[in-house]
Amino acid sequence: MALKFLWVIQLAPLAAFLGIQLLPAKLKKIAPGVAVPAALMAATAASWLFWSQIQTGGRDLPGEFSTPWLVWPGRALEVGFLMDRLNLLMIWLVTVISFFVQLFSVYYMDEDPSRARYFGFLSFFAFSMTGLVLSNNLLQTFIFWELVGLTSYLLIGFWIEKPSAATAARKAFVINRLGDLGFYLGVILLFLLFGTLNFRHLTTESLAQALPPRTLTMLGLLVFTGVMGKSAQFPFHNWLPDAMEGPTPVSALIHSATMVAAGVFLLARAFGLFGASAFTLSVILTVGFLTAFVGAALATIQFDIKKILAYSTISQLGLMVMAIGAGSSLAGMFHLSTHAFFKSLLFLTAGVFIHRTHTNDIDAIAEKGGRRDVLAVAMLVTGLASLCGLPPFAGFFSKDMVLETLKERSFLFYSGALFVSFLTVYYSCRLLFVVLFSEAGHPRPTTHDSRLLNFSRAVPLVSLGAISVVMGLLGSPLNAGLLEWLGGPAEVHFNASLFLVTLGLLAGGGGLAYFRFRNPAGALQAEKEGQGLLLTALRRKFFVDEAYDFLVKKVALAAGALFDAFDRKVINGWMVNGTSYNILKFGRLASKLQSGLLQDYLSLAFLAGIVIVFFVVL
Amino acid sequence: MSQSLESYLFISSALFAAGVYGMLARRNLVALLISLELILNSASLNFVAFNRFLLADKTAGQVFVVFIIALAAAEATIGLSLILLLYRKKHSINIEEAKELRG
Repeated sequence: MALKFLWVIQLAPLAAFLGIQLLPAKLKKIAPGVAVPAALMAATAASWLFWSQIQTGGRDLPGEFSTPWLVWPGRALEVGFLMDRLNLLMIWLVTVISFFVQLFSVYYMDEDPSRARYFGFLSFFAFSMTGLVLSNNLLQTFIFWELVGLTSYLLIGFWIEKPSAATAARKAFVINRLGDLGFYLGVILLFLLFGTLNFRHLTTESLAQALPPRTLTMLGLLVFTGVMGKSAQFPFHNWLPDAMEGPTPVSALIHSATMVAAGVFLLARAFGLFGASAFTLSVILTVGFLTAFVGAALATIQFDIKKILAYSTISQLGLMVMAIGAGSSLAGMFHLSTHAFFKSLLFLTAGVFIHRTHTNDIDAIAEKGGRRDVLAVAMLVTGLASLCGLPPFAGFFSKDMVLETLKERSFLFYSGALFVSFLTVYYSCRLLFVVLFSEAGHPRPTTHDSRLLNFSRAVPLVSLGAISVVMGLLGSPLNAGLLEWLGGPAEVHFNASLFLVTLGLLAGGGGLAYFRFRNPAGALQAEKEGQGLLLTALRRKFFVDEAYDFLVKKVALAAGALFDAFDRKVINGWMVNGTSYNILKFGRLASKLQSGLLQDYLSLAFLAGIVIVFFVVL
Repeated sequence: MSQSLESYLFISSALFAAGVYGMLARRNLVALLISLELILNSASLNFVAFNRFLLADKTAGQVFVVFIIALAAAEATIGLSLILLLYRKKHSINIEEAKELRG
């Protein structure tokens, strides 16, 4: 029964995508009218499913529908749905955020002539993402993983006439493929060595029985490479800030809430594979920490509101990966769920500012009167409070859980994460204070005030804001329902020392930001023109792009030149041409025998005849 | 010398040697053709001689000789027409003029 709803969730967005493609050119402008109801349908089905399973305590779980696809003797590739507690939460989150973002897009893309293409791609993304989440095996996950990568590429480069958007889309695509290469190799090897890719069989115990530890480490690291690409982990993180070239709702849906979180979801989903090797887990922990630190540090110096949020996303993804690397996929998934809501809320808020003021720069937004939009500012505060971990907003509970996990694992990473949290508070407050405290002019009068547009702007903001408050409370000492659902403890104990540490971070980060940005204009100026070593390093994004440039332009080209020379000199020059030249030379030598005179040939034949007779007869 | 196989073979070898010498030494193509006939005739002589002295059936060798004569006639036809063509091209029937196939 329940599985039937999965078909609706999976196929409604695909139907919307196909429907939009089939619309005649004159009717293209009603595309939102196709996409939004389909997204609503999927979200309703998912919510109903989630709610009914919570009511019954997950009695039907895990439910699986599976059918063989390619069969060999002894092993088979299958396709199917697997529904368990983890992906039921994820599917609910994806469809709900997808619906709100599509609704918001009605407002945001109102003036765009090619919005049929936009809504078509968004629906296709929703289809691919639900497919990724519902898959019951790694190969099917990989196929949808590539499809979300494709839609991400298409939507980053949505404004195709902008060269920067095209470049950013290409960069995202290439870096993701780099990671996916490892993922694909891992999937193939796992299938060859282990014989099945079904998530239910990928448990630590059965893997440890079937395969030696070194192989498990290698497989885990290979699959983790794909996660690094998709979830923008250091050093593959640099595509995500560039991906902000896409429309803002796309950034909210794909590049903060769902697609980039797919990597973290996969870590939790196939935790048996990663957890089977302690070395893999420590690599995951380290990479997560580097990512969290780099993201948070770079977010402190950005002037583009979407870039601040993008680096913040990188940093928060790093925290989730750290939590999973520390062995708690529960904490990672909890933070993923809260983060998805408050970060998409923040991006939509940024979308409102950008739509109003037609600029991405925080000082320009402030200058053009961004703060006069009361709803947007209220939602900005809600989102940032959650991001900083201000109690009782969602981020507080999930981040504390991550910190607690890290504290148990290793003090070093715990203090690293504390520093990252401090930076998070600092850049959040910086953003807020710049918007609030700058000299504000009057915003230009908005051109559209229709009730539909106001509705499609306000409803997603308020709903996401409300959910991002409530989500956290479900993992708090008051009620740990969400954690219990995911198989965690039934109640959470209030951790007083961690609470004090969090308050200290908030006070410290907020105080520092207040001290520096009481008067934002001067402080921003100083940041733009400062010459210090730290400032330069931050402004140049820790030279990661330069390192890639060096790798590609110098190292790869030099290696290419080397191979080229080898091909020209050795293979072509020495082996191919050398052979033919020597044969030619020998032929010239041999042709000297041919005098052209008939009688020379005759004498030769005669002599040969005599010799033959001599040897044969005698 | 009485009539014996050896005497016939002796004449036949002399004819063959004369033919080979002509083939190798002469530059005139018609002379070459004539030398070729000498070689063929020495072979014919061998056939009839061996037939006469060694075989009971007296016809086999003679049939062969008839064949060789017919063959020589045909070969002379082709050879002479080739020589004619060469002459039209080079205005000479000297074999040394025709060495286009030199390597």
